[in-house]
Amino acid sequence: MFTTAQVRRIAAVAVAGAMAISLAACSGGSGSGSTDSAGSGSGDGELTTVGFVAVGPEGGWRTANEQNIQDSFSKENGFDLKYAPATNGDQNSQITAFTSFIDEGVDAIILSATEATGWDSVLKRAQEAEIPVVLLDRGIEPNDPSLYTSHIAPDNVGISASAAEWANAQFPSGAKYVVLEGPPGLSVVNDRNKGWDSTIDANFTKLESQSANWSTEDAKSVFETILKANNNDVQLVFAQNDEMGLGAALAVEEAGLKPGTDVKIITIDGTKAALEALAAGRLSFVAEYNPLFGDTAIGVVKDALDGKTVESDIVVPSVTFDSPAAATEALPTRKY
Amino acid sequence: MSTASTTPARSRDRSLLGTIIHQPYIWAVVALVLLLVINLVKDPGYLGVAVNPTTGNLSGNLIDLLRASAPVMMIAVGMTLVIATRGIDLSVGSVMAVSGAVSMEFMSNAGDGSVGTALAAAGLALAISAGLGAINGVLVSIVGLQPFITTLITMLAGRGLAKVITAGQNTSATNEPFRWIANGTVLGFPVVFVIAGVIVAIVAVFIRRSALGLMIESIGINPKAARMAGIRPIGILISVYVVSGILAGVAGIFSVASVMTVEVSKTGLAAEMDAILAVVIGGTSLAGGKFSLTGSVIGALLIATLDKTIVFLSIPSEATPAFKAAVIVVICLLQSQRVRALFARRRAKAAPTDPGAGSPRPTAPRKESVPA
Repeated sequence: MFTTAQVRRIAAVAVAGAMAISLAACSGGSGSGSTDSAGSGSGDGELTTVGFVAVGPEGGWRTANEQNIQDSFSKENGFDLKYAPATNGDQNSQITAFTSFIDEGVDAIILSATEATGWDSVLKRAQEAEIPVVLLDRGIEPNDPSLYTSHIAPDNVGISASAAEWANAQFPSGAKYVVLEGPPGLSVVNDRNKGWDSTIDANFTKLESQSANWSTEDAKSVFETILKANNNDVQLVFAQNDEMGLGAALAVEEAGLKPGTDVKIITIDGTKAALEALAAGRLSFVAEYNPLFGDTAIGVVKDALDGKTVESDIVVPSVTFDSPAAATEALPTRKY
Repeated sequence: MSTASTTPARSRDRSLLGTIIHQPYIWAVVALVLLLVINLVKDPGYLGVAVNPTTGNLSGNLIDLLRASAPVMMIAVGMTLVIATRGIDLSVGSVMAVSGAVSMEFMSNAGDGSVGTALAAAGLALAISAGLGAINGVLVSIVGLQPFITTLITMLAGRGLAKVITAGQNTSATNEPFRWIANGTVLGFPVVFVIAGVIVAIVAVFIRRSALGLMIESIGINPKAARMAGIRPIGILISVYVVSGILAGVAGIFSVASVMTVEVSKTGLAAEMDAILAVVIGGTSLAGGKFSLTGSVIGALLIATLDKTIVFLSIPSEATPAFKAAVIVVICLLQSQRVRALFARRRAKAAPTDPGAGSPRPTAPRKESVPA
């Protein structure tokens, strides 16, 4: 029983593998074929097919980012974008979408990974099929630039370092602070921690670093307990996204303290909701993590298909907002 | 599992303590007390409740705990009834998201912060939750689909529906009366907990004072025999899933009212797991049949306490799932009949001074103390 089942499984894997290889070969041929047509005949109105392996609804930032990508890769710009959001942030569904794009023989794939690890084998398959892959936002681990064409993202380390610099200037004699981070293991979380930890002055005391799963509700619940555990003796919160910062502000208000005065809250992302809260004085510092880089992505995809060399790491410039006035000024033109 | 619902008449002359000790959820109570003691060791003022000078409300860790346990309590009670009929409801988390999405979207469009808007939003959310529950009930009872598959479908579809309702956005709204549901206090007690308590009481009275509880149990114990005895399973099954849907809707309202934002991909995420755990910890068997609402309420309190304790003890976030799992595994092991029998047998062997204790059968020693 056991052995037959095993033999059958091996056979199934072998057949699937053979099919995959032949499919990859087919798509490789067709992929390069259409690449040529896209390169030479973009004036003929032929569309370049681009598969977008996306994260899907997650928060204000993600919505803005994916909307921007979808708007940029429009038919008017000569692209046919196939949007494949992950099912509830599950990496497996992303890998499935990625492989089916390879099998379909799209001209290029853009990928916003939910998790950093586990992409090596599918990226190699895309490489064999000669499909350029552009990583958006989240990178891969271990970071092997030979596996992808380019990685376009704002610099997480730099952004959280700028937040830490602001904190250093605000509290010259140090402060007790709490970090509200995303789910452990994500490269964003690691990078945002890295930038913060390497820049924050030694006279600051980290009371706690807890995950609140990017969620307002979790952050409120976590931070109200942290406040109680420390008798409200917390001067600074570093929330790694806007939603968690807003949750922390609610917990501060609930405790009868004033956010912005008693507890200063730093957030990263710069969504409209956060800027409104900054304008109202409920947050103290918002570092933007610029989601609008569709145009950059278009340039990279076009260059890659034309066979030009592309920079493997492109940093999207981001700004910071450190006062209600700055937030009020930026709000009317805020797209997300 | 053992008797949880009907107290035998003889128990009147036993002490109250004796009755409690023989409940299946005794280990949940022990664990709850233990967690509170651990918190107390870390901070002797943990259980202190004081009036906050700025807001005028009672504040303290206990109050936070009651508040956090309310949503879990709601879904756990619904889940208990479903599990008692040999079913399972995996859709509660998604129904929470739908209910939250409906109420937030309604209020953000209605615009005014009146009590009427809040009530209408809550009513609409509960109606849609009841509808989702009814779909589960009809598919399980009339069509005869497996409860696991049926509610798995509603679980996936529900979260999709929530995303459709808010167009993928995390919708926020401003409405003071609605916010009060989760953040306000009545006589110093959090409103959520009062509402949750009242709802649990209503469900308990309705189920236990009528024959409904017995019918639910009989369906869970032996559906065929129940039908032979003249119990119509269809109506009962549908109402059980509808109740579970409504209670999940209430939990969703609690959950979004606390921050006045629905996070479509996070509200109620993995809540079904918390609910099932609360039910199991409370001593209700997943095989259906006898159930204990009190046990599930205690289970919900335990889950909330566990979540809060993890933060209070500053357990690093990488280790929290493992810590939670470890505590729950220990409780389940302590409750397991087989493990308890094993301990009892070893104790009987280790005590040769009392040969009159009879054969070391697993059922012989009825004492509930643990050697560990």
